[in-house]
Amino acid sequence: MIEILSNAALATVQDLGRNGSLRWGVGTSGAMDDLALAAGNLMLGNPVGAAGIEIPVFPFKLRFGADCAFALTGADCDARLDERPLLPWWTHRARAGEVLALGVPKGPMRASRALLCLSGGVDVPEVLGSRSTQLRGAFGGFEGRALKRGDVLRCGHDGHGRPTGFGLVPPALAMPLQRDGIAAVRVLPAAEYLAFEPASREAFWNRDWKITAQSDRYGYRLDGEALRPIAPMELLSHGIVPGVIQVPHSGQPIVQMRDAQPSGGYPKFGTVIEADLWRLGQAPIGSRIRFIETTWAQAVAARDEARQWLAKVERMVSLHCSARGAR
Amino acid sequence: MAGEGRTDGVAALQRAGRPVKKTDAQREDIARWLAGTDIGYFELRTPFETLRFGAPQAHPAPTTLRAASVGVFRRAHPLHAAALAPIGEPVPAGQAVGVLQIGPLLLPVLAPVAGRVARWLADDGAAVGFGAALIEFQETT
Repeated sequence: MIEILSNAALATVQDLGRNGSLRWGVGTSGAMDDLALAAGNLMLGNPVGAAGIEIPVFPFKLRFGADCAFALTGADCDARLDERPLLPWWTHRARAGEVLALGVPKGPMRASRALLCLSGGVDVPEVLGSRSTQLRGAFGGFEGRALKRGDVLRCGHDGHGRPTGFGLVPPALAMPLQRDGIAAVRVLPAAEYLAFEPASREAFWNRDWKITAQSDRYGYRLDGEALRPIAPMELLSHGIVPGVIQVPHSGQPIVQMRDAQPSGGYPKFGTVIEADLWRLGQAPIGSRIRFIETTWAQAVAARDEARQWLAKVERMVSLHCSARGAR
Repeated sequence: MAGEGRTDGVAALQRAGRPVKKTDAQREDIARWLAGTDIGYFELRTPFETLRFGAPQAHPAPTTLRAASVGVFRRAHPLHAAALAPIGEPVPAGQAVGVLQIGPLLLPVLAPVAGRVARWLADDGAAVGFGAALIEFQETT
């Protein structure tokens, strides 16, 4: 059981997403850094898709109302349990009454969202097959909204006997992706790609894009050289998914993120591949990113690489915990 | 045989109802005798008690922290530039003073007691075997 002590807005309960409901007009939601959530759960012996708490605004504080094993992944945010500093991407054990405090993310690999996983997962009702918060529809997660001070959340169990006190090499280090020293994500050209001027297409792949302050779980608005269509386009609204890069009339692209609405009418320039959405999800506002053109086969290979990393994590954690348990 | 004889002697003392711990007068005698020597620390162990005179050693023998597994030894968390425990910096018992990386897994090398890292015994990033010496750790006195 934990009690939220901060009024820091926008911390939400998330799992790996409400997949399969786009047909009802229900967006995907889910952790912006799905690898961090999955890895945190695996360290605790939870199902990989158990619900955790995504924290995008700092400082953030909560109190453990009972003993509980937990994992902190995602952004390295100078976490402390009472006064004890905690290592990032690590499992810990809290005692009843201890306060977990997360500070502002730091370091050369600065990320923007911390993920807190609790043993047994955050115990909220499943809605349409997911515990993720659907902010637009105000359902799922904890009362369909962001957490606020005084909220009390239950976790599945206290994780008693489960080894803690170990960590993981973050995927940003295990599977780095940069172009010219700048964080990068891979993109598949989308339906209207060829309807943009060749110079715009070249600029898209070769220039930096700044993540503006108008960026959140719904979408990232980017700032860079305006992308110009060869001729003006008017499209009927059609289905879109997280990762789709739309180009509105301004020419400044918008990347749809986890809370994207399920349809839109802007021309689609490309799609950030599923395997790289976590990289974008962790890119801080004000930072720069690059896009790398990819193919369907490479996108599938990238997804497999992430799955293999998680499988390796699961195997190594399980070996470590069974060895510790046997002692 | 000497040991057996002593034990028999103690048993005989106990049977006779004689005290088997040093009396205050005896302790004073020892302290007076020590005062006339250059002995800084004196420890007397009997089957019944341990008596200590003077300051204990300024530096207990350092402990060698060893690899609990095959892996890559790191002085810092991979996300951080600074060592977990720079040489000479005090660390509380139970704090990680290094990490051992095994594939994606990071296992801590823990300070067994409060103290400080005196010396690195393995290079940062070195592949080490089970039981390899990693850190010379000095207990705080």
